[in-house]
Amino acid sequence: MTSPGDAAPVKPPPSFSPGVARVASTSPSRYPGEQEQPQSLDADLTETPTATSPGPLSSTIADLPLRPGSTHSRSGRSSTPQLARSSVGSPLDGRFDGSEDIRSLIIRSFSPTIAVHASEDTDDLVRNKGFKGGFWELIRPFGETVPGKVVIRDSIGSSRAWEDYGVRFVDFKGIGRAPTGRESGSLAQMEEVLSKHLESSEGLLGASVRTRDVLGYPATTPLCKLFLQQLLCSAPAAPHETFGHPVANVIAISSRNPAPLETLRQLYADTTTGDKHPPEWVNQEYLRYYVLVHDEERDDITESTKLYDQMKRHFGLHCHLLRLRSSQCVVTDDDSMQVPQCEWLSPSEHLSGAGEAGKELVVQSVIPFMENKVAVWNDQVASRRRGISGRFMSMSRRWAGFGSSSRSSIAGSSGGNSGNYDATQHFYGPDSPEAVLRKMADFAFMLRDWKLSTSTYEMIRADFGNDKAWKYHAGAHEMCAVSTLLNPLATSAKIKLDGVDQMFETACYSYLTRCSDAPHALRCLSLAVELLKSRGGSATESAAKWAMRVMDFGLVGSVGQILYTERVAACYACKTPAGAAKWGGRRRKAGMWSILAADQWLKAGKPTLASACLEEAERLYADVLSADGVFPMPEMQSFIDNLRHAVRVEYLEARGFDARDEPAAAENVGTEETSEKLDKRNHRRSLIGLPMQLDAGTLNMTQGPRDTEVPPSDDFERA
Amino acid sequence: MHKIFQIFQVYTYVLIYPWTLLAKSSPLITHVISQTPANSPDGLSLHTSTLINRDRPKMSYYFTILSPSDTPLFNIAFGTSKGGGDGIARFRFPETAQYMNQFIIHSSLDILEEAQWTNGSMYLKHIDTYPPAAAYITAFLTPSGARFLLLHQPPHLPSSTGSSGLGASSLLGSAGSTTRASSSSIAANPTSPQTEEAVRQFMNEVYENYVKTAMSPFYKQGMEIKSPVFRTRVTAAGKKWL
Repeated sequence: MTSPGDAAPVKPPPSFSPGVARVASTSPSRYPGEQEQPQSLDADLTETPTATSPGPLSSTIADLPLRPGSTHSRSGRSSTPQLARSSVGSPLDGRFDGSEDIRSLIIRSFSPTIAVHASEDTDDLVRNKGFKGGFWELIRPFGETVPGKVVIRDSIGSSRAWEDYGVRFVDFKGIGRAPTGRESGSLAQMEEVLSKHLESSEGLLGASVRTRDVLGYPATTPLCKLFLQQLLCSAPAAPHETFGHPVANVIAISSRNPAPLETLRQLYADTTTGDKHPPEWVNQEYLRYYVLVHDEERDDITESTKLYDQMKRHFGLHCHLLRLRSSQCVVTDDDSMQVPQCEWLSPSEHLSGAGEAGKELVVQSVIPFMENKVAVWNDQVASRRRGISGRFMSMSRRWAGFGSSSRSSIAGSSGGNSGNYDATQHFYGPDSPEAVLRKMADFAFMLRDWKLSTSTYEMIRADFGNDKAWKYHAGAHEMCAVSTLLNPLATSAKIKLDGVDQMFETACYSYLTRCSDAPHALRCLSLAVELLKSRGGSATESAAKWAMRVMDFGLVGSVGQILYTERVAACYACKTPAGAAKWGGRRRKAGMWSILAADQWLKAGKPTLASACLEEAERLYADVLSADGVFPMPEMQSFIDNLRHAVRVEYLEARGFDARDEPAAAENVGTEETSEKLDKRNHRRSLIGLPMQLDAGTLNMTQGPRDTEVPPSDDFERA
Repeated sequence: MHKIFQIFQVYTYVLIYPWTLLAKSSPLITHVISQTPANSPDGLSLHTSTLINRDRPKMSYYFTILSPSDTPLFNIAFGTSKGGGDGIARFRFPETAQYMNQFIIHSSLDILEEAQWTNGSMYLKHIDTYPPAAAYITAFLTPSGARFLLLHQPPHLPSSTGSSGLGASSLLGSAGSTTRASSSSIAANPTSPQTEEAVRQFMNEVYENYVKTAMSPFYKQGMEIKSPVFRTRVTAAGKKWL
């Protein structure tokens, strides 16, 4: 990607470049990666091509672009935390550390799905404006983050505003159409994307790969984030969970359409009947939202307004008039905005109102619709189950079997074999109480009412087990644990953590052993790792345990293995010593896993990443080793010395240095004293360098004769 | 407190030492490891052991004494001698075991530092596990601050090496299948009460010998223990209990 001449042998890492401060200060948004500021482009120019590099998965995962990770790590948490902190004046800044970031990523990955169904003429119109994928592709970026605050009321009536709410637009024709054979291959595809990303950005990643939290914990590497993002959005719509099912359907026509109302009817009919309609396990009760796309250049606005009024009369309030303009406009125009993330398509493309349309759709239609549905289902289905008669009925059915299979009765459906589960096709009918409850729980989850979703998942998970609907069973356990962990009010309680562990265990077993569904199992375990890690305290140990379990099960490929090795290290590093006695930390464990990760990166031919891990390990070990930084155990010491040397050699070779220039320890390995002396000195140097000196003098390797004397690796070790 | 205890021990052992030596030396000397050729190719030794008994899992052990400043004073690797074991360590990943064992032991010090404040006794039982290699760590504290750490590793079972990947976890698999393999062999399951008890016996015996060695006028606190007698006795203790 970057030609050798382009990449100066050892240039100061981008995180030190003057662009950082500016990027940090110009992106007050909580997720700078989501809204790509044009101003930051110059800093990112080198990276832009990587965003176009995703492999075959790009069609499904492109709604979470590759870029945020690295951009974010630079802008939000550069290696100069103080600087970034003072310049980002957002009140949310205090929560802007790695774990909150990952939590938000997870939460946003479970956002409502909105299907987009556009007429031919609309797609044509939009294609003319440079979006090859049609209307869906145009509107997709605007769902990522709804601008401004979104207020959601939970089941007990209290409201909460969210800044990072988003929805996911999907193509209507794609729902449930994902070939089932893809499931086995999706993990392999993910691995492919990862390694591609690695290759393409080897030089860049190396410098910016390891940034730190404000507190000095190892932050999530961009690669880990990328992995998680892909994992979370690679799951196709499935019967057993409704996150991929449409909550609403956007039906779009354009002003060019000769018979607009007829077309709308036809499009509506497509959603219920015909060969395009979603699979039968999708609940048909979703919101329809009608959009009229007006072309500012070719059509008359008065005509469109008239048509729009007519639409409103026919279809009610869930309508929107979207005015598109493709002429060049000035960036400072208030009513225009650049299409996020799509600048490489056609930079001149501007459109007004699409962001507004997205917000209006979400705030005024989708969220009220979901709130309403949750309330209704809670009232009609869930409360009956919760009530005393419901419990009695379910018990009687389970024990005696005399409850008579009354399908109409909601209570009667729980015990024994309810008969609602279609064991041959492996799904519940969308109207069965189980499916409705699951949908309600998912809605509550997407509305971030985790208390309600936890209790609902808890209520239904046993039913799925009774019906031997194992995927549903696994899914309910998984989401129950996840929403328990996400619920900010459910703090403390070690007993609870045990319960959560148990739920993950069950979910994992059901996914993996009973259903052989590796992608879902991997997702489940990854969620467990990240959420438990973000809990901190003793939960981090379970997090590490689950991460090891992922590796043990062989759910990930070779790159994934290394990533999870890093994850284990990060989990252990999160556990900080408490109290004056300074015990309870896991520094040695974290250091060991970092060393292992470095070793694996080296074997994978990525010396830059290996050196980052190595440096991380040194930082972690610094607390537990004596002042001279020598390991007490001789074999550990020699292993680390060898590793360090090998990393240095490979790194320099990759950079075009002749490795023999270096005063290497390789020739001196035989002579015990010499190598030891060298190593000790290097180690001490890097320990001294730990407080992240930023003086450019020591960093700038290109300044003449020094780099023949100083082993250049000192530079990247500190970077 | 510790000091007083130690001094007390000094006197007792100085008084008792010659007699114990006399009493114990004769059987100990005969307890040299059964010398199968240690450098023989792996296939050969595996062959002989499979001949002796087919499906008995063989534990491998790595025992370390660490000084209060984490310096290793003594290392020994050995295998089980129960159930026809030949007393030779066969770690799962022989090419990395050399340093990995030390890494694992070193990393378990995190847990040890925590456990020593919450557990009143000297024998801390099983404190830590390293799942990727199925290595279990058991610890023992001495009053002088030296730590005994025993790493035990059940062998890689052929059934779980099939690496079906799904379901057959090497960790879960080993725990599950070793129990059925032989309940008579104490070291089959690293966390079972029998194993804990056997390790306790082993630790106590080593401790006794350690104190005697530390009493030696030629030994200074913090020095590496080079005494061949001590090594022989640790080997013997391993043979006897593990």
